Amino acid sequence: MGGLVCANLLSKKGQRVLVLERQHQPGGCLQSYRRGTMMYDTGLHYVGGLAEGQPLHDIFKELGLLSLPWQRLDPEGFDRIMIGNHEFLFAEGFDCFLATLAKDFPEDKESLRQYVSLLQCTDEEWMQKTNAYTYLSSIIHTPLLLSVLSGACLKMELRRQTLPLFTYVHGNAPFIQSSWRLKGDGNMLVRKLIENLSAQGGELICDAEVVELVEREGIISKAVCKSGEVYEARYFISDAHPSITLSLVKESQVLKKIYRRRIDSLENTNGMFTTQLLLKPNEVPYFNYNEFLYDGYEAWDGRGYMVSCRVPEGDSHYARQIDILTPMNINECSAWINTRCMHRGEEYLRFKEQKAQECIAVAERFLPDLHSHIQEIHTSTPLTYRDYNLSPDGSAYGIRKDAAAPLMTVLSPRTSIPNLLLTGQSLMLHGLHGVTMTAMYTTREIIE
Amino acid sequence: MTREEIIEKTIETLTDEFDVNEEEIVEDAPIYQTLHLDSLSLVDLVAVVQYTFKVKIPAEDLPNVKTFGNLYDYIESHMA
Repeated sequence: MGGLVCANLLSKKGQRVLVLERQHQPGGCLQSYRRGTMMYDTGLHYVGGLAEGQPLHDIFKELGLLSLPWQRLDPEGFDRIMIGNHEFLFAEGFDCFLATLAKDFPEDKESLRQYVSLLQCTDEEWMQKTNAYTYLSSIIHTPLLLSVLSGACLKMELRRQTLPLFTYVHGNAPFIQSSWRLKGDGNMLVRKLIENLSAQGGELICDAEVVELVEREGIISKAVCKSGEVYEARYFISDAHPSITLSLVKESQVLKKIYRRRIDSLENTNGMFTTQLLLKPNEVPYFNYNEFLYDGYEAWDGRGYMVSCRVPEGDSHYARQIDILTPMNINECSAWINTRCMHRGEEYLRFKEQKAQECIAVAERFLPDLHSHIQEIHTSTPLTYRDYNLSPDGSAYGIRKDAAAPLMTVLSPRTSIPNLLLTGQSLMLHGLHGVTMTAMYTTREIIE
Repeated sequence: MTREEIIEKTIETLTDEFDVNEEEIVEDAPIYQTLHLDSLSLVDLVAVVQYTFKVKIPAEDLPNVKTFGNLYDYIESHMA
């Protein structure tokens, strides 16, 4: 998505833009895939902060994305955290969020006040170098409350040792302001961005995998595609993982060894196992919220499940598609690490089937008897992400940011090559919000 | 590691990574000008120090590292 947003912003400012898409289908993490008559999303589940005055409103309006059919999630509980058998609701708006949780945690009202105040903090530099877990533990002293507040964080890598407060706050606050689902699949966003790009004179070429960025006299002079096609430009923006981008510059007088080494040595966040269910028609009522499930206080241990529901077609009140997500390190798939999609063998299919059944069993804690309503099951692992999205280690959120080393792990859109810029989830922030904001930073390097 | 060893290793690494002559790296020389550092390559310097000496230089300490002498002092005082 980062590349398409950059292309839109630049073409709107009168730049001639060409997007080279490696795949047959553009969109990266936003793309959807078809199985039978149904479309399934790969990365998009919900978006935060689309209402007026909120973080994504203006930029989505500028990109023409506000006109898409967004459905506001339940204001009384857009995210619901189930720990054991107790469910805690996240209400929309900071005041309601506080008031709702204060009913469950009356003795922690002051901690909740501090938390809500933190979510509205704008001191970026301080938040980048502050460890989220350490800081949150200092203001929230009830372990259950800390787990509840962090319970909706499957949209980031909740890692005690590294996660910066900046990532935590930006990954939570916009959703509390307002949370939205698209009535349809992620391809609607992609199609809209392409439609706007085209109207602004930009172009997109699919099946155009760049295999080399040729450096001449200290700048990138051309991109060479696998097909042999060559494209020259004044600026090149790469939405690929930074490490992959640098590997495309095969010979350089400008890129220092240490620059390549430090980018290559950065760790990637964990991946995700996704179980996507097609349900039998008219059996399971649609739920207008996300459910997060935990056995105990393990939110910060990288365990937990998110259950999300696609908005039904037409006027139906019944769900047809449910996704269950749980973090997964690519090492869990180490037996198939050297295989490619569709050629991983029977054992891999059994592994996925077993994992999917585990996920379904967990989801049955709030959707009893779910298994009897399932028509089809589709699954993906970090290997799927790695192979389709060129995401090293099948990472779900790109390069791991480290509060102890923000200088090293928060990357600039600029590279040592003046006309080669980076964008995408690995730079500053991930997610729809993060990638859009990063694209704005990237394009500013050209426009300003 | 002694200060002399730190200096020797630093000079060896910086001449290799930053394309500068050994003679330019002297104690009182300004580090930013000598290595032609901008905001991007400054991070490369931080990376060199981290990889070579396992010493992390946080952003708030960078203003205190003005000369190569300051850098040697910093490494010496922060090495485990």
